[in-house]
Amino acid sequence: MSSSPSLNTWSDALSGFTLGGFPLGLVIVAAIPLVFIALYALTYGVYGERKISAFMQDRLGPMEVGPWGILQTLADILKLLQKEDIVPTVADKFLFVIGPLIMFVGSFLAFAVLPFSPAFIGADLNVGLFYAVGIVSLEVVGILASGWGSNNKWALYGAIRSVAQIVSYEIPASIALLCGAMMAGSLSMQHFNVVQSGPYGFLHFFLFKNPIAWLPFIIYFISSLAETNRAPFDIPEAESELVAGFFTEYSGMKFAMFFLAEYGSMFMVSAVLSIVFLGGWASPLPNIGGLALNDMTNGPVWGAFWIITKGFFFIFVQMWLRWTLPRLRVDQLMYLCWKVLTPFAFIAFVLTAIWEIYM
Amino acid sequence: MQELGKAELNTTRIIRQDDNRVVIEKDLDTEYMVLSMGPQHPSTHGVLRLECITDGEVVVEAEPYLGYLHRCFEKYCEKIDYPAIVPYTDRMDYLAGINTELAYCITVEKLLDIEIPRRVEFIRVITAELNRIASHLVAIGTYGIDLGAFTPFLFCFRDREIILSLLEWVSGARMLYHYVWIGGLSYDVPADFKKRVSEFVNYFKPKVVELQKLLTENEIFVKRTKGIGIMPAEVAINYGWSGPMLRGSGVKWDLRRNDPYSIYPELEFDIPVPDGKFSDVGDSLSRHLVRALEMDESLKIIEQCLDKMPEVSGFDPRAVIPKRIRPKAGEVYGRAENPRGEVGFYIVSDGKSTKPLRCKARSSCFVNLSAMKDLSKGQLIPDLVAIIGSIDIVLGEVDR
Amino acid sequence: MSEYFSNIKTSTTTIATGLAITLRHFFNAVKRKGDAGIDDADFFKQVDGLCTLQYPREVIPTPVNARYRLYNNIDDCIGCNQCDRACPVECITIETIKVTADDLAVCGKTSGGQQKRMWVPVFDIDVAKCMTCGICVSVCPTDCLVHSPVADFSEFDVKNMVYHFGNLSKIEAEAKKKKLELEKVAKAKAAEAAAASGAAPAPKPAPKPAPKPAGSEAGE
Repeated sequence: MSSSPSLNTWSDALSGFTLGGFPLGLVIVAAIPLVFIALYALTYGVYGERKISAFMQDRLGPMEVGPWGILQTLADILKLLQKEDIVPTVADKFLFVIGPLIMFVGSFLAFAVLPFSPAFIGADLNVGLFYAVGIVSLEVVGILASGWGSNNKWALYGAIRSVAQIVSYEIPASIALLCGAMMAGSLSMQHFNVVQSGPYGFLHFFLFKNPIAWLPFIIYFISSLAETNRAPFDIPEAESELVAGFFTEYSGMKFAMFFLAEYGSMFMVSAVLSIVFLGGWASPLPNIGGLALNDMTNGPVWGAFWIITKGFFFIFVQMWLRWTLPRLRVDQLMYLCWKVLTPFAFIAFVLTAIWEIYM
Repeated sequence: MQELGKAELNTTRIIRQDDNRVVIEKDLDTEYMVLSMGPQHPSTHGVLRLECITDGEVVVEAEPYLGYLHRCFEKYCEKIDYPAIVPYTDRMDYLAGINTELAYCITVEKLLDIEIPRRVEFIRVITAELNRIASHLVAIGTYGIDLGAFTPFLFCFRDREIILSLLEWVSGARMLYHYVWIGGLSYDVPADFKKRVSEFVNYFKPKVVELQKLLTENEIFVKRTKGIGIMPAEVAINYGWSGPMLRGSGVKWDLRRNDPYSIYPELEFDIPVPDGKFSDVGDSLSRHLVRALEMDESLKIIEQCLDKMPEVSGFDPRAVIPKRIRPKAGEVYGRAENPRGEVGFYIVSDGKSTKPLRCKARSSCFVNLSAMKDLSKGQLIPDLVAIIGSIDIVLGEVDR
Repeated sequence: MSEYFSNIKTSTTTIATGLAITLRHFFNAVKRKGDAGIDDADFFKQVDGLCTLQYPREVIPTPVNARYRLYNNIDDCIGCNQCDRACPVECITIETIKVTADDLAVCGKTSGGQQKRMWVPVFDIDVAKCMTCGICVSVCPTDCLVHSPVADFSEFDVKNMVYHFGNLSKIEAEAKKKKLELEKVAKAKAAEAAAASGAAPAPKPAPKPAPKPAGSEAGE
């Protein structure tokens, strides 16, 4: 039984909402993911990262500002807002300023197709997955602009490395997602979730329904780490080697823009991963006997809860990997992409095709 | 970008191939970039300036510029008494204070006519080995953090805190101990010290295993350090390398065995020399391995010392120290095995004064760092970071 | 080809081991290390868990023979200047005035019973320069100069980092100096009068043997 036959009720209602001819509803639809990114990056993103890394390293983490340091990120944001906005004299002013903006826009545009709940999605495109993968490439332009515009050898090194990394890893990532699309039969993001929802909860998820789905799952997870410049692929921001990579020269709010973009991308790839392989807003709890857990935990609000939880879980795994592993060198990174992930992605593609056709 | 002159440099390119061999190619009209790593840089382990001339990502040459931490140790030694020099030797290699003090004290004791009590020797060795473990923990932790592994650093420092507390309990200070005095020690160890140290040994053994699993055996770490910065044994000996650097190149040379001092001849311990199974002989991973394995050996030494240490009631560690230290005339060179290599002191005494005529300090890190130009040819910049980390320099000792 | 696959296998196994270690530490984070000192018998029973202590609310005690800030019990100081001479960084400044014969009772004795023969109006230690080597403490004959376990003594003004232990005010010091001068003058007059009166000169005390260099404080 499909969980909610009425999809996109909230977003359609909001899209129709106008205030004296001004499409206020559309603005709200666009603002909701933005507010979500900001809130989550402030709380779980920065604070969670600091606390999780601290606990893994036998430390306490932020404790002073607010009980258990909860207000630490707020203090950091206030500090960043008050910082002097430095644009180096030798920098190319236009590129320097526009770099972080393009990067954030590229990362944020993908949120248009993320279904936060069965009732809410920014734009229910029937090529949603294709759009999400493609639009993130806009970040590359932003990175190049900031690296070149900084007029700093180290920043340029970092930018070029980062661009090479992102562009290369898009290939195994896309092929892995294609496997998921084959399993679902469509590229529409809402469709993925609808197909993976059912009375048996998590048994409908592609990861558990399909015996080879774990391979594209892992391939996409690793590639997404490289897309978002997270460790062990954080050569572009390798603090101990290039100071701070392509954002060496940035301070104040522009620095915060980069971080928001990074955390936004982190959530986006986690959400895409959970949508394609783990059911998105579908509840993982099955209907056991008389206890209709699945029916109880499905719905517009529950859907939002599930997708956010799954996204946050994968963000936890990303942080966990960051604080455990050393960094890969650039050529090792490229070796991993072209000689390991891409062949395995093709193999996964063929195997998934065979599974889908014959079984 | 700075263009170097039209000399051979502009037409020669030195690159490293996949099998780690260095190849020189003649090329036309390439531009070299001069990058200055430091003196403020997160991974140069102190105020070291490395001027790298790079061709793209490949380093053609990296020359170290020193002197940012020079504090005129040798000049100052001519002004103060022999016993007052000991706090300054601490500050040379501040991560291995007791070992450096020990090197200095055994040198001066060669010119004096005193016999050091056995209990003093045992305590000296116990504290020196504890300091060695602490120093290696810093080396391993900072090496991990240079390569991007943030967590082992914190684990290393958590355990180092306990060692520092132990040494503070004994000597009165956490890092600059002034504990080993010429002719004895400054304080006797507290009553519970033996028990606490053996508890520490039992606590620390599983931690070393955990550290190995987390960092040394990690495939990414191995990939980053294996085959990087290979130094053949003969070249290492010619440069004057010592300590874990030399042992990493396959030469079984340890001053505690080859030129023994104190009570080391009575103790049983191995000298880990990598055999090329896990790492290539002479590369950065070997040097790292030597340090990691040496921590286990130090634990063995400490356990043996705790068993063999004589209990003397009412012991005064300052009993044999002469009132005025006035060594007989002569020149003497004494050396000891520091965690970073051979630290030696060359002392010239005129027999009449309480101040040395000349006290020269032979620094292990300075000599080890001298091979930087050779090691860095043809490496990528991230590999350069891996090499510096494996040399394990402390700028206080390099610059004195 | 087999190397390719074994490579992938070692990578996954070692990465998984590393991840297991960090996760174990993450779940162990409910425990916290206590603030017992290393001299506590139960020290190693409370080292598990998060090891951060929130200073200054949670402090590890400093051990008994800790070498931190210097303190001088000036009432026990005999003004021998040994600490001033021994200090490698010359952070101790001492000025002494010899006590006149009639002031000996006023000056008093040290707690060990030794008669003090020097007033110490100025005894300054620049604790910013002091490198806590402990040489001054080891040469002090009356053990009046000690290390205290206080390690946290920062000041806003660097002039406050010079600690004044002298126990005579300027006026009193001037008065004592004048007294010393008067005593000297009186002694000189008495000697002259004795010589001028023609009486047999008072037997000179036997000359003290010339001080050997080994045991003396010949100024260097």
